[in-house]
Amino acid sequence: MRRDDSLTQHVDWWLFTVVIIMLGMGIANVYSAAYNPDHPSIFDFSQKYGKQIIWVGVSLFLGLIVFLIDADIYRKFAIPIYLFTFSLLVLVLFMPAVHGARAWLGFGSLGIQPAEFAKIGTAIALSTYISQVNIKQQNIPTVFLALGIVVVPMIMILLQPDAGTFVVFTSFFFVLYREGITFDPIVLRIVNTLPGVKFKETWVGSHFIPILFFTVFLSLITLLMSGNEYEFTFMRGVLISGFWGIIIVLVIIAILAYLLLRFISSKREKGRVLAIVLIGFSLSAIIATTVNFSFKNLAEHQKDRIELFLGLKQDPDGEDYNRNRAMAAVGSGGMFGKGYQQASVASVEANHVPESETDFIFCPLAEEWGFMGSIAIVFLFMFMLIRIVVIAERQRSTFNRVYAYCVAMIVFYHFAVNIGMNIGFAPVIGIPLPFFSYGGSSLMSFSMMLFILLKLDSQRRDVLH
Amino acid sequence: MNLDGRKYVILVFIILVGIVYLARLFFMQVVDDTWKLRAEEIAEKRKEITPPRGIVFDRKGKKIVTNRSYYNLMMREDDIVDLDTVAFAKLLGWTPQEVKNRFWNIRKKEGKYRNPHTGKLQENYQSQRPYPFIEELTIDEITRIAPNLSKFPGFYEDLTSMRFYPYAGGANIFGYLSEVNQEEIDEDPFYRRGDHIGRAGMERFYEKELRGRKGIKYIVTSASMNAIESYANGKYDTTARQSPPLKMGVDIDLQVYGERLMINKRGCIVAIEPATGEILALVSSPSFDPNLLVGKQNISKNYPTFLLDEGKPLYPRPLAAEYPPGSIFKLVQALIGLQEGVITPESGFPCNKSMVGCHNHPSAGSLPDGIKHSCNPYFYYVTRRIIQQGKKRSMFADAEVGLNRWSDFMHSFGLGEKFDSDITGLRPGLIPNAAYYDEWYGHHTWAFSTIRSISIGQGEVKVTPLQMANIAAIIANKGWYYTPHFVRSIGDSGPLPQFRKKHYTMVESQHFTPVIEGMRRAVYAPGGTAHRASFAEDIIVCGKTGTAQNPAGEDHSIFISFAPMDKPKIAIAVFIENAGFGGVWAAPMASLMMEKYLKGKITDKEKETRILTANLLNVKPKPKKRK
Repeated sequence: MRRDDSLTQHVDWWLFTVVIIMLGMGIANVYSAAYNPDHPSIFDFSQKYGKQIIWVGVSLFLGLIVFLIDADIYRKFAIPIYLFTFSLLVLVLFMPAVHGARAWLGFGSLGIQPAEFAKIGTAIALSTYISQVNIKQQNIPTVFLALGIVVVPMIMILLQPDAGTFVVFTSFFFVLYREGITFDPIVLRIVNTLPGVKFKETWVGSHFIPILFFTVFLSLITLLMSGNEYEFTFMRGVLISGFWGIIIVLVIIAILAYLLLRFISSKREKGRVLAIVLIGFSLSAIIATTVNFSFKNLAEHQKDRIELFLGLKQDPDGEDYNRNRAMAAVGSGGMFGKGYQQASVASVEANHVPESETDFIFCPLAEEWGFMGSIAIVFLFMFMLIRIVVIAERQRSTFNRVYAYCVAMIVFYHFAVNIGMNIGFAPVIGIPLPFFSYGGSSLMSFSMMLFILLKLDSQRRDVLH
Repeated sequence: MNLDGRKYVILVFIILVGIVYLARLFFMQVVDDTWKLRAEEIAEKRKEITPPRGIVFDRKGKKIVTNRSYYNLMMREDDIVDLDTVAFAKLLGWTPQEVKNRFWNIRKKEGKYRNPHTGKLQENYQSQRPYPFIEELTIDEITRIAPNLSKFPGFYEDLTSMRFYPYAGGANIFGYLSEVNQEEIDEDPFYRRGDHIGRAGMERFYEKELRGRKGIKYIVTSASMNAIESYANGKYDTTARQSPPLKMGVDIDLQVYGERLMINKRGCIVAIEPATGEILALVSSPSFDPNLLVGKQNISKNYPTFLLDEGKPLYPRPLAAEYPPGSIFKLVQALIGLQEGVITPESGFPCNKSMVGCHNHPSAGSLPDGIKHSCNPYFYYVTRRIIQQGKKRSMFADAEVGLNRWSDFMHSFGLGEKFDSDITGLRPGLIPNAAYYDEWYGHHTWAFSTIRSISIGQGEVKVTPLQMANIAAIIANKGWYYTPHFVRSIGDSGPLPQFRKKHYTMVESQHFTPVIEGMRRAVYAPGGTAHRASFAEDIIVCGKTGTAQNPAGEDHSIFISFAPMDKPKIAIAVFIENAGFGGVWAAPMASLMMEKYLKGKITDKEKETRILTANLLNVKPKPKKRK
């Protein structure tokens, strides 16, 4: 039952504006990165920038259609949508391999990547399922079914193989965490078999996903930084080892977090806040120390392998070619960049950074706009993500909330991994930067994802689920 | 279970990752310079442009050393993708039709061949082979074209720069170039792998001048190493600068003529302009076409052959071969005798052959006649008077003082020491002094009679042909010389300072007159040893033959000379190994050289033919004893 007929009345203009800004910046950036002086017009549809404009147009058109359709349809047709995107994942496995992966459905430049759309199907299916489950009664079957909705398409994607999208699908585990569907029933089942043990819940089982994520994240950074020594312009001659640098950064974060949390929390909670910050800091320090210590005690060849994987090994033109050059492009941008269309490393013409218009699109951006450009991109994404979480939390329906969290976590993963691999904080797995990378499938899937969210949000007052 | 707090976990993650990334980006982009350097390493290339090597003119302004230095625009058909003929033609400044014709011409020029198996006509042209599309582009042209070549796959520039010696002579003067080795690269930052450096001769001595100044061009490059654009609009670029040309004293026609005369002979000819010390010709025989040592392939093919050749064509005889000077040495003995006052021009000595042998001639009643007859006993006595002047009571002590005095005189003639010249590979020869014989025989155990063979240019005395020619130049100048040298001017700067300094001998100029008269008589007077040296009525030639005894085989034929007598323009030394008496071969050869230089043509064709056709290699020399 609808309260009013205006399509735009309750649209979240903040989020909508950010999406439009990103799409615009994306076109400008592809135009710069893939610029071909023989085809100077941005509307030259034989060029990547021309095509990108077409894709943006198609995406906006799809967004319009989404706005015209009642949002109830997604919940009602969740299973058909899920099965449809899943069947595309099956179908794509019978396609000829391009660059060693069967990721493309269709022919020539008109192909689509089903994995991109499977994210939407999975998000809708997961939202529908969770909105029907009484999580207080969660047990092993519910956990397994929820996991199954996510894991089955993951397996299909791994068969292509597409490691990047596979990793992105783990973002759904965060959604499960947020909704309280945890690994606790499984852990309890195992733990409670021990004689004399009778737990109702375990902390580890409940918070497994964020702990794992945080551990991986901190470990990666520790490994990347610990081997180096840093000298700062304001403290010449003082060398700080990477490990102590991390500890110092952790201390700074802990102090900032404490001050921030104290500022926003009530008086009653102050003791608890201090405890949380102290425990968080201790845990982080322990993880960093453990990783640092155990890495140093690894055998040489194991160290080599890890360093090569992380891109630390001095092999600038060998296995770690892509990231080394991407980082050179980013790092050479300086404070204000080299200017629009002035990238000397990341331009498509120079071709020092392969895939600089798709997976490494952040390179030309950071090289041409410098730290000012980088900061703008990071802030845009942070704003978008926080806004989506805010939107999620204001939903009355569980379906809407879960779906919003799915979108938030998917975009978060893309943002974290894509920019991470441009700055040496993540291994190189090919996933696009939402709204920026050249490519129709990712652009259309992200646009539809976001417009469905906007539509759901605009109808949030209608539903009571 | 309260799940509300979990939204903060997710928010914290988002904010944490954002802050960490911002910190990292700030560090990478603003604080740390490592990545900027790496980016420069990747994308900016410092391209060095080597200018063509300096060119060389001879004394008459003929180009004797030039370059074949050029860029070829290469084409490999298999690599060509979607050639935009119009744009490419525009780049070259051609019409599209000309571009098409060029492709067709390359194909046509390769021709066809009949396949022996199938009997069919087939094209020699192969699309996978590179062909020069345009040859011999200048640096200006290629710097305009090259940056745009990345748009035309299949086309690339190729630098070729090689020495070229148009006269095919003077190999021993010019030397040769070869690629630099690691040591030279480490020592001098000028050189890069693949650069060439002068290895011998003038190319080596004037390496720093001839190589010029490299230009440096900073360009932004792509991953496939194609230049995209010049960096910062060429603000930091420097232009390549070619060395100013070297002007040599050599007369290339005379040089080539001398090499022709010396075919089938072993030995050398050195001609000097007495007034300047400029070397007019420096012939070493056997020789070779210097173009045979140009380029890697030539060197690897020909160098080992030359090295193993019995005639040692790479051995720079005129500078490095130390021969006993023989009778020409008598001229210097006479000059020292006159200066020391132990003889006068009228002194006569009997030709009694008691101490040294001689040929049959009447005893010389004066110094000029002694020179004319080249009388051995005469100069035995002269030298004995120089060495044993009776200043000390002991014969041995007297000889010691006398010999050292004599040695000082000899050194003032440029003998027994290396010239400070622009000639690489010089040897000093040998003028013994007292210390030398003390080591040989013991202190105060020797006197003139022990070392008497030095009086006639035998025994321990060793002189290089260049020094012999310089003796002729000194006599022509009556007592002074400029250091013999190749290059009279670098650009317009004139000779190097060391070539502007007159070296005076210890003999005063008036003493030269009787010696010159003796040399005139040797050529013109009846019974003179060098009558074959004259060539024209109006030019008086002064000469002195020498016949150096050679224990290993036939005597060496020697002749030094200058002409015209009153206003000397050329001083020359000819040394022919194992050719016998000096007057027979060396003197006429010197006369041909002088006539060629002074008159420009040869009148006595019979004489010329005799020399040209002579083969004097039949007497095999034993390996020369070298110190």
